[in-house]
Amino acid sequence: MERSTTTDTSRRAPRRARDTGPELGGLFDGYLDPRRPHAGAYDEMFGPDASVRQAYRRLHEQLAASQPGDLAARSEALDRALVDQGITFSLSGQERPFPLDLVPRVITAAEWSRLEKGIVQRVRALEMFLADIYGDQQIIRDGVLPRRLITSCEHFHRSAAFVLPPNGVRVHVSGIDVVRDEEGTFRVLEDNLRNPSGVSYVMENRRTMARVFPDLFAKHRVRAVGDYAVHLLRALRAAAAANVADPNVVVLTPGVHNSAYFEHSLLARQMGVELVEGRDLFCRDNVIYLRTTEGERQVDVIYRRIDDDYLDPVQFRPDSVLGVAGVLNAARAGNVVIANAVGNGVGDDKLVYTYLPEILKYYLGEAPLLPNVDTYRCWLPDEQEQVLDRISELVVKPVEGSGGYGIVFGPNSSAKDLMALRKRVRANPRGWIAQPVVQLSTVPTKVGQRLKPRHVDLRPFAVNDGKSVFVLPGGLTRVAIPEGSLIVNSSQGGGSKDTWVLAPRSSTADAELSGQGLAGSSPMDEVAPERGPELTAAQQQQQQQQQQGGEETDARTQR
Amino acid sequence: MTAENWRIRVVHTTGYRYAAPVVQSYNEARLTPRSDRWQNLVVSRIETTPPTRSFRYTDYWGTEVTSFDLHAPHTELKIVSSSVVETGATVEPVDGASWADLRAPEVVDRYAEYLEWTRYVPRHAELGQLARTMRKGRKPHEAVLAIAELIHDRLTYRRGTTGVHSSAADAWEAREGVCQDYAHLTLAMLRSIGIPARYVSGYLHTNPDGKVNETVRGESHAWIEAWTGGWWGFDPTNDIEIGPRHIWVAIGRDYADVSPLKGTYSGGAATAIEVSVDVTRLA
Amino acid sequence: MLARNAESLYWIGRYVERADDTARILDVSVHHLLEDATVDADATSRQLLVVLGIVPPEGTAFDMRSLTDLVAFSREHSGSIVSSISSARENTRVAREVVSTELWECINAMWNALPERQKAAKRTGPHSFFSFVEERAAMFAGLADSTMSRDDGWRYLVLGRSVERVDMIVRLLMSRVGDKPSSPGWVTVLRSAGAHDTYLRTYRGALDARRVVQFLLLDRLFPRSVFHALRQAESCLEHLDHRPVTRVGSKAEAIRLLGKARSDLEFLRPDELLENLTDRLMELQTTVREVGEAVSQQYFHSVPWVAWTNAEVSL
Repeated sequence: MERSTTTDTSRRAPRRARDTGPELGGLFDGYLDPRRPHAGAYDEMFGPDASVRQAYRRLHEQLAASQPGDLAARSEALDRALVDQGITFSLSGQERPFPLDLVPRVITAAEWSRLEKGIVQRVRALEMFLADIYGDQQIIRDGVLPRRLITSCEHFHRSAAFVLPPNGVRVHVSGIDVVRDEEGTFRVLEDNLRNPSGVSYVMENRRTMARVFPDLFAKHRVRAVGDYAVHLLRALRAAAAANVADPNVVVLTPGVHNSAYFEHSLLARQMGVELVEGRDLFCRDNVIYLRTTEGERQVDVIYRRIDDDYLDPVQFRPDSVLGVAGVLNAARAGNVVIANAVGNGVGDDKLVYTYLPEILKYYLGEAPLLPNVDTYRCWLPDEQEQVLDRISELVVKPVEGSGGYGIVFGPNSSAKDLMALRKRVRANPRGWIAQPVVQLSTVPTKVGQRLKPRHVDLRPFAVNDGKSVFVLPGGLTRVAIPEGSLIVNSSQGGGSKDTWVLAPRSSTADAELSGQGLAGSSPMDEVAPERGPELTAAQQQQQQQQQQGGEETDARTQR
Repeated sequence: MTAENWRIRVVHTTGYRYAAPVVQSYNEARLTPRSDRWQNLVVSRIETTPPTRSFRYTDYWGTEVTSFDLHAPHTELKIVSSSVVETGATVEPVDGASWADLRAPEVVDRYAEYLEWTRYVPRHAELGQLARTMRKGRKPHEAVLAIAELIHDRLTYRRGTTGVHSSAADAWEAREGVCQDYAHLTLAMLRSIGIPARYVSGYLHTNPDGKVNETVRGESHAWIEAWTGGWWGFDPTNDIEIGPRHIWVAIGRDYADVSPLKGTYSGGAATAIEVSVDVTRLA
Repeated sequence: MLARNAESLYWIGRYVERADDTARILDVSVHHLLEDATVDADATSRQLLVVLGIVPPEGTAFDMRSLTDLVAFSREHSGSIVSSISSARENTRVAREVVSTELWECINAMWNALPERQKAAKRTGPHSFFSFVEERAAMFAGLADSTMSRDDGWRYLVLGRSVERVDMIVRLLMSRVGDKPSSPGWVTVLRSAGAHDTYLRTYRGALDARRVVQFLLLDRLFPRSVFHALRQAESCLEHLDHRPVTRVGSKAEAIRLLGKARSDLEFLRPDELLENLTDRLMELQTTVREVGEAVSQQYFHSVPWVAWTNAEVSL
């Protein structure tokens, strides 16, 4: 839709926008309009005094120098590249190109280092928390968390109790959603410990941007994201039982019609493992087998991208046709590893999230390196009262929602809707939390022919192999396209940005950037490729003369 | 009466018959009596026909689960669980908590799972109302006894009116049911007045004066446990205390947590085969 | 390899070949209709549909346009070029991790371009569409050749392609069995099979039915001959079967069927060729179908979705 309008206008008014634009140059015309919604948000490119922040200086220089027409052309090239590569997501059954914005989001080395430490800390604590909850529940016995917090959680799966992963890892892959508040401080918005998706877009956005904007990359030291699958495969192989020499890893997908199928397929391909559907696997005597052309082959690790509810019809939804009957007991028997583990949802419950400072303190004795967003818990009577009083200024979220569904923005809602919401909160206080409206930070984003501030969040991905937690330097930056919107999910019409984590000036990242050559030095002497027999210039000339002479006969044989 | 402790052998036969041959089936049986400080499990064995290799584990509720799967076509699956158990003495009500104690936040939190509503034990206005009237002038443990008696009196024991999926509300509507319904109804009333209560499944030796080595036709049974400063059981179906005749297998919030045999298979309709429970007092 | 992926590769091979061959056949037929005004368009079209195994809708009289609409562009009709390409793409999509990225992008771009190409064909005539399909199919074959390992996956792909090729050539010959040995229709057959130039070079321009049939059925060197395709399919299957050699008979039904069909042709006296041609062609068609079934039985143990039922025993 966007694309067609831009091409139309560019055809009508070619090359005029060039000498307009007063302070910020054509593309940024009207960018810092003080009347824009959420003007108090932290803009990642411009400081409050309209100066360009250090991290974005080079990018701004290059963007300011380009013209709206270039932007449209690049944007079209981008979309075409995405569709041809099949990088799409399905929205209500339709395949659409994944919306990638032209302007990357830049994170400095120092900012990234803080984020990385905070994420690692969080993942470590959540691993210990899950191991405890599905084991002896010491944290409850010690009175640190109320038992009811856990037992009332919809994703607390009693059938996963005492299932012990061989290397202790349950959160093989996590996506920790962070936002920047008005001060520019990174805060965690929610944890995703079940099936966080989006990492394929991180990799593909980068690949596509590099195709379309090679010049931008040349001027920046951007850390690589392409080796994610290497880390993932290492973690999955490490998760297998210790006595499996060459673990057989598979990726389990719900199927080609799933919205994240592209990602499942990409990860399987990059890891060089089979992408399977539930019907390709079966369980016999608590061992999982793959149906191959050669007969059955045992499976050791299942990286599943199917929700718990559909994973095992024996334990969960009996009508599931996507899962593998008996797989949970196979994991319990230690014959297969399910990654991520069953029941991780108790760790990313939005109410459990509010207890994260307690959880961090209990297991690690540390204070959170990344603060949460302030959150009211509707299930505590006094906090519920505050929520009900101030409901028109809060964002009220269902604990069980994902993908942005069910979220109510107090300030945008009618009095009638708020009354209804109050009633729902009162009826099910465990089901709701509330947060003050965080004015997410903004990054310049292509809107029509101009760049406009649009709100973004960030989902970095962490992979735990049991020894260390690797955080992919980058992440999925999602951007809310409608003006003033703070909801960034792609299922709600959001877009995405390539996320650039800059390498520190001199550091280990240098090795990552340059890499070590395979051989000590490249061969110096050039060896020209061989060629077949050719006619010399003199021979050609003779032939041409001959041709001119016998033109008539030639023409006849060619018929 | 002989000694307070009985040694009992239970042979429980159950299973399914399928309308068409089934090629794949996955099953979980919760048929092994518990071994704890009240009851001692001497020996237990579960056999299936067709034979299978089984896997045992202990679930969240502490119940021994036997899981097994079948991959050869079969039209009937039979499971025989045999065990020998030394049962405990008669259980006395625990008079250890006042109504105020039961309302204390720590208690409410610790026993939250046994106070919440489930599909089988839903919140029910009439039952709640009735329970509150039973509370007046009684201590919690007395209320438990009174409620169990009330359920026993109001309900008629009849098979066939309710089924495996009937809830307490369904049974109340019908005023009829089996032990499962008696237990669910009692749980619904107890929970409505804040007494933590849980579902117990097991077996009952039907003859109070059971002679040694005489085999009687027993039955799968269900009763409840309530927390009034400590857990103790009571049998609302028969309005009797739990004693040497009761053999307990599993506890949970309701039937769903303890169902004795649960399976997933691909194929046509399944019907239960004739269930038999042979109970023999050995000593 | 994963049985379901093997099945997908086999069908990718078949669908791409089908799209390619259908485009060739249709291209020649349409050309024939346009060039020769004396041809009865409806009858010729119906004959073509029979060859392609498409049941013609009753009532309508076919012309060039309605024929191409049905055989090339129809989305409903499973035999059309567009639907073959869609099926090939769908199979590639579910087996993406076993085909190379280049191959996927080739077939995906082909599929994405269909509506645009179709529109163009409506403007400038169907030939541009046919040559687009032929080009893309050639590109697909080339990319498969240069980017895929010669592993089992490759063999399933080639197996599918070879089996489909036998089927299409047989159909093509079937359409002409009633023609006179000197009929110009035989040139059409050669053109449709992409064999005209090669044939002319081999037989020095002498055109007669016996030689055409001989070329398309028996030629050992021409890659689109039935014999060549059968031998290729046979060799794929021999490599796919990793079991030890059996002392008597052949290892598997599919190999036996192919081997028998191949040796029937191999040791046929050329002058017997035109006797019982119809029977021979029908036998080949049966063989193709049976080979497909046998391969599926032996290798593609993929199961349909299992519908689970829960059973619970009451007390």
